[in-house]
Amino acid sequence: MRLHIKVFLWFWLGVVVVSGTLIGLTELTHSRAQDDRLWQEKYGPRVDLWARQETHILRTQGSAVLEEYVGSFQADPGVLNYMFDASGHEVFDREAPKPVLSIVNALMQSSGWTQHVDPVERIIAERAIDANGTPYVVVVDFPEPSVLSRPLFELLSADFSGRPTRASAVRLAAVIGVAGIFCFVLARHIASPIDRLRLATKKIAHEQLGTRIDRDVLNRGDELADLGRDFNGMADRIETLVTAQRHLLADVSHALRSPLARLNVALGLARRHSGPGVAEHLDRIELETERLNTLIGQLLTMARVDSGVGLERWSVFDVGTLVDEVATDADYEARARGCVVAVSGERNCLVSGAADLIRSAVENVVRNAVRHTADGTSVDISLERRAAAGRPSVVISVRDHGPGVADKIVPRLFVPFFRGPHADNNQNGTGLGLAITRRVFEVHGGTATAANADGGGFVVSLELPLYVEGGVGQPHSDTRSTPEEHGNAITAA
Amino acid sequence: MTSAPRHLLVVDDDTELCQLLSEYLLPEGYDVESVHSGVEGVERALSGDHALVVLDVMLPDVRGFEVLRQLRAHSRMPVLMLTARGNEQDRILGLEMGADDYLPKPFNPRELCARIEAILRRSGNERGAIDLRIPGDLVVDDISINKASRLVRRRGETIELTTVEFDLLEALVRNAGSAIARDELVRTVLNRPFSPFDRSIDTHVSNLRRKLGPGPDGLDRIKSLRGVGYQYTLRHPSGAQEK
Repeated sequence: MRLHIKVFLWFWLGVVVVSGTLIGLTELTHSRAQDDRLWQEKYGPRVDLWARQETHILRTQGSAVLEEYVGSFQADPGVLNYMFDASGHEVFDREAPKPVLSIVNALMQSSGWTQHVDPVERIIAERAIDANGTPYVVVVDFPEPSVLSRPLFELLSADFSGRPTRASAVRLAAVIGVAGIFCFVLARHIASPIDRLRLATKKIAHEQLGTRIDRDVLNRGDELADLGRDFNGMADRIETLVTAQRHLLADVSHALRSPLARLNVALGLARRHSGPGVAEHLDRIELETERLNTLIGQLLTMARVDSGVGLERWSVFDVGTLVDEVATDADYEARARGCVVAVSGERNCLVSGAADLIRSAVENVVRNAVRHTADGTSVDISLERRAAAGRPSVVISVRDHGPGVADKIVPRLFVPFFRGPHADNNQNGTGLGLAITRRVFEVHGGTATAANADGGGFVVSLELPLYVEGGVGQPHSDTRSTPEEHGNAITAA
Repeated sequence: MTSAPRHLLVVDDDTELCQLLSEYLLPEGYDVESVHSGVEGVERALSGDHALVVLDVMLPDVRGFEVLRQLRAHSRMPVLMLTARGNEQDRILGLEMGADDYLPKPFNPRELCARIEAILRRSGNERGAIDLRIPGDLVVDDISINKASRLVRRRGETIELTTVEFDLLEALVRNAGSAIARDELVRTVLNRPFSPFDRSIDTHVSNLRRKLGPGPDGLDRIKSLRGVGYQYTLRHPSGAQEK
């Protein structure tokens, strides 16, 4: 849930709970005591009167009439009227609850007319003596006052009748509503700078290095303002570092390549003036220059990927088309050895990333496969969609039909400058190709793994998360029009 | 080739390289003038004294692209860009902005010679005014191509194309309706042997697509055929016609 909504709901709930508790507590202490007093003042004398009447009726008219009389005000909900004789026996043989019995026992010990009031249990008992001098105990057990029914609504109700009315509901809603507005504003006050910080962080992560927190947040004077200032300090630093890194890489590239460029031209000149025996050595120099140049290029690519400098041109593109293009070129190269490069599987796999880096990463793997596959065999590239843990991805598997690699060194193939046992007949490799490939895929949230294939050969699997926003289907719908519409498309001028 | 040396302009801040280049290119029949800054480069290139400019992307004052932009505002003279190797963006940007070709630096001087030769041969066609093999206008859909003036019009409106783009369009239109392999396009249009993983022909095609705009039916005029090459799509069976 959004922080704003969360903070808002918690505050609101807090306000409602606290006010509810306050009302409840007030009712339970202050109001209850007052209520008890009122109750006692009202019913104490009445019970006295009832006790006299009941003993009189019992003596003069018998228990049947008394039962009728008692039953008449038993109609009041929850009010129970008991009568005990001197032996502690209930006159109508009814079961009385424990608190009533204990009060009765206590009263029997006393003498004369005595009234006992128990405000907690809401029981009033009176020891009565009829005209014959026979003692009885009359007990009236009132229902307990409900905590919720009356007091809470008394506070809000319009007519003080003890029952909720339309007006009281409106008041209740007003209280919750005002609390709601207040809490909403408060939550907004807390959450909005966090949203801005988050947005700014996101922008920085997407290479918009000039992003800073604005004055609205910085002028708050609280911890969030401090956080904003710290953020700006950090952003300054990152911007400086990345810019410096970018310049350094460009400078290093230039500085290393300029001598190589001169060397190449000088070599060309030397070739022109050299005798026949020297050509072989010049070829060697040219080859080594070429290797040095490739190595510089790959080191720079590695540095660019690591520092995120190469990721400025981020776009959404179809990795299927990219693989097709790489495969077409590799196929051209492979034909010289009677090999083919075949692509199968999914198309229209949209991914988001730096297309040129991904192209060279895939190219590294495919060219490696072409180099290692046996003469006259095929390099099979397959694209497959997967949805592991709800995250859709595309896996590009590149399989050659070569000698494979000893299992124990497979994991080390991705380590920079690791030279496999076949490196001797592979002098063109710099030992960086697969390392670059892995870095590129990792930077894009994917993986690069390798294994020996079942039935011989070697397979490299490259996984890349699919672009999800906006769907991964066909990028544009094919609205092909009928040829009749443009029947005379080509005419003589 | 002509016997009189052709004038080349090299814009590169590496003075030693310029010196070596002029030494290397002289026996090949090129007379090299070197300048070492972008501002000077624009100035000299616009003088009209040179047949071709070799332009480095990394210049101390203004980027090579800026030099190219200023140059293209006034002139269609052939430009060969020297880019940092492995920097695809530089290559694409250069070709998009109207460079005729590019060469990653460091380069083999023989390769440089061959590229210069190829570009000059193409632009020689342009100056040579009339290619007698095809006398009239080529017309496809709403596009007309005039070989003599090397002008391309869409519904009468002139489209600015570089020499490569013109040759590419001509090759595609002449074979309209059937596919031309990428390697063949590289050989005939760029005048160089096809090497895999060199995608400059694709960049030229996409530039051409962008400049021509969609066809009358709203689809791309030039179709990519995976694993084969490119095809100028015909909307009518009678093919491209000449007049």
